[in-house]
Amino acid sequence: MNNATDVRSKGSHAAGNSSGAPAPDPRGAGMRRILDRETRSSRAGVSGIAAVLVVVLCGYGLLESAVRAIGQPPWLIDPETAAERIIALPQGMPPLLLGLIGAVTAMVGLFFFLNAVLPGRRARHLLADPRAGVVVDDEVIASALARRARVAANVIQEQVMVVVSQRQVTVNVRPTSGVPVSENAVLAAVLEELREMDPVPMPEVRVNVATAGVIGA
Amino acid sequence: MNNTPRILNRILIGILGLKMLAIGLLLVLLATVPAVGSWWQHWSAGVWSGMSRLFQRTGIPGRDESWLWAVMALLLVLVIAAMVAWVAQQGKGRSSLLVAEDDAGDFPGSVRIGGGVAEQALRAALAERPDLAGATVATYEIRGEPALKIRLQPRHGVAPHLLAADVSALVEALDAVVGQRTPVLIHISAGARSRFSRAERVR
Repeated sequence: MNNATDVRSKGSHAAGNSSGAPAPDPRGAGMRRILDRETRSSRAGVSGIAAVLVVVLCGYGLLESAVRAIGQPPWLIDPETAAERIIALPQGMPPLLLGLIGAVTAMVGLFFFLNAVLPGRRARHLLADPRAGVVVDDEVIASALARRARVAANVIQEQVMVVVSQRQVTVNVRPTSGVPVSENAVLAAVLEELREMDPVPMPEVRVNVATAGVIGA
Repeated sequence: MNNTPRILNRILIGILGLKMLAIGLLLVLLATVPAVGSWWQHWSAGVWSGMSRLFQRTGIPGRDESWLWAVMALLLVLVIAAMVAWVAQQGKGRSSLLVAEDDAGDFPGSVRIGGGVAEQALRAALAERPDLAGATVATYEIRGEPALKIRLQPRHGVAPHLLAADVSALVEALDAVVGQRTPVLIHISAGARSRFSRAERVR
């Protein structure tokens, strides 16, 4: 598609302009670190869940071992009986239930592990500014682009949907039935807005004009 | 922006995840593969007999309970305390001072400007803007240095770069008032309030 290559070259050009190498940041020495931290998830919520899980397990263990240490009868299960049951494991338990428990535990473990390993990039872009570090949620960029595309296509708000991701902007336009929408005009308007905005990283733009129109809009 | 210990979070979550993954896979294998079951019974019986011998050797004189139970309870208390301390670390870093330094003049004492000055000034300046659904300003302490976080919630369709330029100009005016350039982060966010408001027609 001719438009797409045009867009790609423009996008890379703009990104090349903005990513010079200014060694001393005029916005303060810690700004690079602040921006890095703002565009990634801190995993605070998952950490809280993990800590609560460990606390609950340890709390139960604490109860049973304390009860045992002062020589009282156990609350739910005696540690020794529990150990014997665990040793005998494939016996004494329906294999379906055992497999199910194992699968659930493994899934929860995988969830925690992936949370620890994956980069956890947030849906945000950076804007250039001489004084302050600027972080913008992708949703804000999307609504600004949608407004521009809506004016260019001369349709109402509900007929334009913009999806912004890290490296791509998709503009979906559903034209009013009988009124043609110029794909190039929409693309040019969105590109113009993006060029003024200059987000980092600069995304590519794709415009989809639906073949079916909306009646009575 | 805050001082959440991110590396520590990832390490601890990773350890917990790997352990749970290993336990879960072992249980699945026990349920499905018979050979694993016989190996497990052999191996874990050996471990358990070693442990029970240890328990018998470490009995409290005069009673038949081992003091290892008390040690285990103590260890668990320590783990729980560590977990509580870990959770308490999340999202720390708010501070109340914007400037705190000795002005090296003839008079003894130091200059302190509360973060409330910047917060009130910026909030008042941003309050009349029709394109904002909300704005909050908070002072943080990043590695001992004060920093400002300005969170803006624009209405639908507001161009973020124009908004950022305006607020950046406000921040420079604040620099002149305070007499110090603090690091500033402007976060333009899609808050819940802008999601429910129909701002297309306001402007």
